[in-house]
Amino acid sequence: MAVFQAALVNEIEKLYKKKKALVAVILTLAIIVIGQLVIVGVRSGFGVRGVGSVEFSMLVLSVVINTILPLFTALIVIDSFSGEFAANSMRITLTRPVSRFKLFSAKLTAVAVFILTALMLLLIFSLLAGFLFNANSASLGDVARIVVAYLMSLLPLFVLALGIALAANILRSGISVFFLAVLGFIVFQGLGMFFTRYSGLLITTELSWYNLWLASTLPLGKIIREFLIMVGYAIILFTAGFYLFDKKEF
Amino acid sequence: MEKVIEITNLTKVYPNGRGIRDINLDIYRGDIFGFLGPNGAGKTTAMKVMTGLIRPGSGDVKIFGYSITAEYEQAMAEVGTIIEIAEYYPYLSAFDNLKQLARYYAKVDYKRIDEVLELTGMLKYKQEKPRKFSLGMKQRLGLAAAILSRPKVIILDEPLNGLDVEGMIDMRNLIKQLAEQDKTTFFISSHLIHDVELTCNRIGVVYDGRLLNVDSTQNILCNYATLENYFVSEVERNGRVPSCSR
Repeated sequence: MAVFQAALVNEIEKLYKKKKALVAVILTLAIIVIGQLVIVGVRSGFGVRGVGSVEFSMLVLSVVINTILPLFTALIVIDSFSGEFAANSMRITLTRPVSRFKLFSAKLTAVAVFILTALMLLLIFSLLAGFLFNANSASLGDVARIVVAYLMSLLPLFVLALGIALAANILRSGISVFFLAVLGFIVFQGLGMFFTRYSGLLITTELSWYNLWLASTLPLGKIIREFLIMVGYAIILFTAGFYLFDKKEF
Repeated sequence: MEKVIEITNLTKVYPNGRGIRDINLDIYRGDIFGFLGPNGAGKTTAMKVMTGLIRPGSGDVKIFGYSITAEYEQAMAEVGTIIEIAEYYPYLSAFDNLKQLARYYAKVDYKRIDEVLELTGMLKYKQEKPRKFSLGMKQRLGLAAAILSRPKVIILDEPLNGLDVEGMIDMRNLIKQLAEQDKTTFFISSHLIHDVELTCNRIGVVYDGRLLNVDSTQNILCNYATLENYFVSEVERNGRVPSCSR
């Protein structure tokens, strides 16, 4: 466990020191500012209420979960794998007493920490902006549901990260991985629209599963089914990604 | 004598036919073993297999009895290494680069990081980022990383690449000092015959992916005027190249 911990601290430190993750988080937070300006503009210009305090947080989540959060997650994963393959810096860690399994797991856990941090910052700032600029009554239950919705969004984004990590271990170039990830995302979104009956099987559709946690009566059957689909994807993608990472020659 | 590295029937052949074939070798505690061979002979391939960067086609390497393929963490626990060129994270300072590595060892603290930077003459550059370093400075930082954990075995692939004369002498003295004081075992690959002669006490000649012979430097120099003569003779004896000494 101490070795995994060391590898995880190293990966988080690298993310932080590279500044890319920091820029990603700042840009994500900029969405709140832009969103808030739009809401204020609509309200004062057209006299339309826009959104209430807690609704603003959900509006922000619905926008970022399908746009910049998957994009920045992809960039961070590509940097962590393809970037280090290309710069040969993967050797620095691989020649230390740490197994490839622990290193692979630590890299992905660091990505999960990044996603969770971005989500939590978005939650805090969107709630603050919501309460400051769009004040209306909100119960503690409403806030709790939103917190759960944000937390639950980690799972589909992490599965997406696992898919990109697999691609990064198949393709040589980081740019190819990035374009494949963007193309795959668009194709899956399109498939989800045309084949609505089967859209529940697509990970891009699962990005919206946080909506299930907002219902006043939780649809437990649906939640369990979607959870199991995502866990299934996670196991397959992690195993395939690790298999290739373990076989890689440096 | 304590066997530190045990290489058994090690084979790794790339699709282009190059690589190493059936290498058997034992390295003992305190050895400064020179792995001598021309470019493309298979030195780096052997060292990459020894450090787990690539998997062997067949055979195994054991370090302190632990298999590099099956018990990687235990096998690498007492190993420091530089393979090809010293790698570093360009966005971290020299100190932070070593701090990343220090986390894998319970006994390595910040004081030790300063100590190895001092030993390699890099202490004054500790807060600078290696992207601004010269090749020699990067190699010194790589050596600092290799000795950071006070390893019992140090595997160095062409460690003198990019070093000036002063750097070469410093590196040689440091290797000898560690071998004498701490009984550190070295496995050094080089194509620089003169340097191997001055540094190593045992020498293995590798040619075309095969280990031709292993002998002590003392024995070799008793029978041959120079290590270069021995190398040419070994290669010739195995019928692989026409004589270049005549």
